Amino acid sequence: MAFLVVYITEAHPTDVWQSENNFKDKVLFASPRNEEERAALAGTCVRKLGIDIPALLDEFGNSTESAYTAWPERLYLIDTAGKVAYKSKPGPYGFKPDELKAALGKLAM
Amino acid sequence: MTSSLFAPISRRSTNTTFLLFEPFARAPIIRPLFLWGSKLKFNKFKKPLAIILCTLAVLWLAACSVIYHEMCQPPEQFGRAMSKIPGELPFMIFPFETLWMRARAGTLHIGDRAPDFSLGKLDKTDHVQLSSLTTQGKPVVLIFGSYT
Repeated sequence: MAFLVVYITEAHPTDVWQSENNFKDKVLFASPRNEEERAALAGTCVRKLGIDIPALLDEFGNSTESAYTAWPERLYLIDTAGKVAYKSKPGPYGFKPDELKAALGKLAM
Repeated sequence: MTSSLFAPISRRSTNTTFLLFEPFARAPIIRPLFLWGSKLKFNKFKKPLAIILCTLAVLWLAACSVIYHEMCQPPEQFGRAMSKIPGELPFMIFPFETLWMRARAGTLHIGDRAPDFSLGKLDKTDHVQLSSLTTQGKPVVLIFGSYT
C-alpha cells in the first residue's frame, strides 16, 4: 500500500480568497507564483503539520488536480489494476477519512 | 358544545383556502384563533405579496445559477468571485453545499482507470509515476490538498 500526498493549488491564498479560520491560525500565504514558491510552501506545510507521508508536487499547470477534480481537497484510492476504487466527495464537506478507511477494508477483503 | 364544534364557522364560506382549513379549525384551541383570523381582510395584500415573493424566488434562483457557474470555473476564478461576497452570506441563504457537491463532482467514477501522472517528490529526490506503483501490486491512496 502506498500513501501519497499530492500538493495542489492553494485553497485560500491571501491574494485571492482569504479564510477567517486561516487568519485565526496565522496560515497566511499568497498564491505561489512558480514551482519553487509552491515547493517552499508545501515544505512549510509538511513541516508545520508533521506530515510523514511522501508528498508530491502537482506541476504548476495543475494538470493532475484538473484530472482528479481535486481542489481544494479530495481522497482517492487506486486499486492494483490502476482503477479508481474510492473517490471521496469534494472537500471540505466530502473529505472523510472514515470513508477511505472503509474502502481500504473492502479492498483488503 | 358538540353541535357548535360542527357548526359552520362562517356563513360566507366561499373562500377556497378558508374551506380547506375549516376542518382543522374545529379543534377547541384553534377555533377562537381561526374565528379571529377569518375576520381579518387579507385580500388587498395578496397580489402585492405574491409579486414580491415571486420576484424574490426568481432572484434567488438566478443567484444560485451564478454561484453554480462560478463553482464550475478554475479554482482561482471561483476564489475571486467568492471573495467579493461578504462573510457567511452565501452559506446562509443559498444551498452552498448541495451546489458545491454537484459542481465539483468531476468526471471520474468508481471503476474508471485512474489518470496516470509522474510528479516530482517534495524532497526533489525522485519522480513518482502512479502506474509504476499499481503495476507492482500496490494500491495507492492519494491525498490531495494544500496548506491554506
